[in-house]
Amino acid sequence: MDNIAPEQARSALDAADRARRQVAEEVGLPRGYWWGMAAGWVVLGVLGAETPSWLAGMATAAFGAGHSVVASRLLSGRRRTDQVQVSAAVAGRRIPLVVVGMLLALVALTVLAALALDADGAGHAGIWASVLVAAIVGFGGPEILRVLCRWVRA
Amino acid sequence: MTQARFDELIHPSTRLTLVATLAAADWAEFAFLKDRLALSDSALSKQLATLEEAGYIATERRLSGTRRKVRARLTDAGRDAFNGHIAALQAIVAEATAPAEQRPV
Repeated sequence: MDNIAPEQARSALDAADRARRQVAEEVGLPRGYWWGMAAGWVVLGVLGAETPSWLAGMATAAFGAGHSVVASRLLSGRRRTDQVQVSAAVAGRRIPLVVVGMLLALVALTVLAALALDADGAGHAGIWASVLVAAIVGFGGPEILRVLCRWVRA
Repeated sequence: MTQARFDELIHPSTRLTLVATLAAADWAEFAFLKDRLALSDSALSKQLATLEEAGYIATERRLSGTRRKVRARLTDAGRDAFNGHIAALQAIVAEATAPAEQRPV
């Protein structure tokens, strides 16, 4: 130990920290989760606009139940790929809260977009609003989550 | 509290990065480690074998479809050794940055 220079020790610590950060970058949810969510969003938008309210309500409940099953395995953010499982200490415990918060914000965005489109006289405003948000979820879900996690230091 | 203990086996840079990567994960696949450490199959296998012989990591061979995949994880002994090594490195740095009068003679 005595023959290790402080500079060597510092660069070894930097290397270890870099390795840890590389693994931390793996925190997130699989791409398939976001596209599944986007597809569900469109289906619920269509059902909400084109079917009786009881059917849309049941579909929403089924979607919520299905999501909770998937979420229990994925929302920790530790299994974005099947190549590595990030440790709980590195992933932190706020990822599920960030994802749920993000989904609630997207629901609010869907409602606002539907109201705006409806006020503008667009036909099928609910469907178009859900397609818009589905595109945001599918294409930008991982990136939005990454930014939110950085903001809340999750 | 982790006891500082310099570990000659972990200290070489490739092995330190490998162990630090595994310390941040519950487990990692061979392909992930190979990609992150930019090592050849044989070089990574050699490093894993050395660490496994020391009891620092455990590997598991699994069948995924028709392919055989190797998954590695740090053992408790490996985690203790890594934490002790990091503490020892931090102690070296702290000693060098401490004011001269506080340094042990």
